[in-house]
Amino acid sequence: MPPSVTRAGEYEWEVPIGFVPKMRVPGRFFLSEHLESILESGAVHQLANVATMPGIIRYSLAMPDIHLGYGFPIGGVAAFSLDDGVISPGGVGFDINCGVRLFTTPLGEKDIEARRRDLIEALFQKVPTGVGGKSSTKVSDRILEQMMVKGAKYAVESGNGTERDLLRCEEGGFMKNADIHAVSSHARQRGYAQGGTLGSGNHFLEVQVVREIFDPSTAKAFGINLGQVCCMVHCGSRGLGHQTCTDHIKVLEAATKKYQISLPDRQLACAPLDSPEGKAYFGAMAAAANYAWANRQMITHASREIFAKTFSLEYADMPLVYDVTHNVAKIEEHLVEGKRMNVCVHRKGATRAFGPGSPDLPSDLAGIGQPVVIPGSMGTSSFILCGTAGAMEKTFGSTCHGAGRVMSRSAAKKKLSGKEVAADLLKKGILVRAHNDNAIADEAPDVYKPSDEVVGIVHNVGISRLVARLSPLGVIKG
Amino acid sequence: MSFEDLPHTADIRIRVRAPSMDDLFKDAADALMEVMYGKDRAGLDTTEVALESPDAESLLTDFLSELLFITDSKGVVIARADVSIDRFRLRAVLYTEPFDPARHSGGTEVKGISYTGMTVQQGSRGYSVEIVFDV
Repeated sequence: MPPSVTRAGEYEWEVPIGFVPKMRVPGRFFLSEHLESILESGAVHQLANVATMPGIIRYSLAMPDIHLGYGFPIGGVAAFSLDDGVISPGGVGFDINCGVRLFTTPLGEKDIEARRRDLIEALFQKVPTGVGGKSSTKVSDRILEQMMVKGAKYAVESGNGTERDLLRCEEGGFMKNADIHAVSSHARQRGYAQGGTLGSGNHFLEVQVVREIFDPSTAKAFGINLGQVCCMVHCGSRGLGHQTCTDHIKVLEAATKKYQISLPDRQLACAPLDSPEGKAYFGAMAAAANYAWANRQMITHASREIFAKTFSLEYADMPLVYDVTHNVAKIEEHLVEGKRMNVCVHRKGATRAFGPGSPDLPSDLAGIGQPVVIPGSMGTSSFILCGTAGAMEKTFGSTCHGAGRVMSRSAAKKKLSGKEVAADLLKKGILVRAHNDNAIADEAPDVYKPSDEVVGIVHNVGISRLVARLSPLGVIKG
Repeated sequence: MSFEDLPHTADIRIRVRAPSMDDLFKDAADALMEVMYGKDRAGLDTTEVALESPDAESLLTDFLSELLFITDSKGVVIARADVSIDRFRLRAVLYTEPFDPARHSGGTEVKGISYTGMTVQQGSRGYSVEIVFDV
């Protein structure tokens, strides 16, 4: 732990003002002693750097899966005042609205056992994955615009889901203030052929089984039962999102100079929220986020079709539990020093975890809290958590997003062969299907922090409550 | 190999060294393409790129970002880039072939080019730069 970082609670650490020059607020992050050994000191510096940005409120925060990112650390949460605060693409990430969703089925593990290999193969054939993966149809300009404006709602209206899916999605499946004119021609050109594709890296589609229930009444309310087979989809806005981030970073670098904002790191490029440049980024980000929601909805539909065909299921038998984003900036109302006010919350590698009584919750969950889907790394457990009042109080309604890496990709490739990792996972009963061995070696379980440790910390700190644990049965990867 | 792997937990970090700025950019392009698509890349077609930026690091970032755009939007892989730089004005001829899933699927998708640690340095034996690819 860097010197001068002090303990503020059993799993809470404070980075004091003065850790780097010109901090306006302290930093706060959540970590156990065990995970301390893999904490990158650079990530703590990044957390402190964010605390220097204009209009930041209360703390620069990071979740237990904290690690080095672009400007902001991954696992970072920062809220800015609408009056004198800024918006920054580094606080959102290149993969705008990288996120995850889970739908359930009425099947148990034994029901799928005989056809598990067929199921995984059919999913792999149906959902495009991998570097260079293109969808079977290129969308028109008009459809691309609909995806950017209406997100998952467009996908549902064009036959890829149900109205209920939208109720179980953050923002109802689309942010309302998308500005498609702020999305460049470069970004659109990348978006045409990638609708319904999974991408690569840590993105995946996983068939899972509910192995453990921690909170029976909440699990029941969420529609989750022990032994139930589920399907998890983890992916983002693809090339359209990456390009949108790249384009607006350039604009905001110039804006940083124009508005005379002094920053310790060029990658914190930003602009005042109410400036033309700030508004343009926000609008473009929302459009890219909507594209990602449309994308996840289309992949959900394709997966449901495979399940329906393979096991003679009805569409209505496979309801969506919830869809969360973990790379986004949103305008939300929070309690700040006793006053309710709208702030711009940036979450990069962090998930919204709204507590009971919060807006944007489906009516049947209003008294319980928001479902939070936490994907584990390949071959390890994923989790369902519930948002809490503690999150609203401590972290602007936020929690972790996943496990966080500990081993670099080059080290992974040298240490592990994809074939060995796949064979190892098969021994544990997990089928892996990918285009090539590197995709598997890169994402081997060893290269991540243990996901159960990360969710254990957020549970103990009270910013989300453990509800269920899911184990993988089969995964398709890019 | 035109580049050296450096440690980085979540992303990919490399160092490129070359005798001239033109070659530095050429090797950086080669590194990016190798990370994404592997070594087996042929140049059957050509595309031209022209860019101008305020400084060397911005030029390198803009150039590599443009390569990401070209490969993704056109579905091609770049075998080689012949680069010519005058002050901070760049012209390049890219030698490309269509993406072939059988030969080009072994790499890692790069989402963006980071400025972390990126300083183009000039020494007695030429130029060097560290680049982080956000994956």
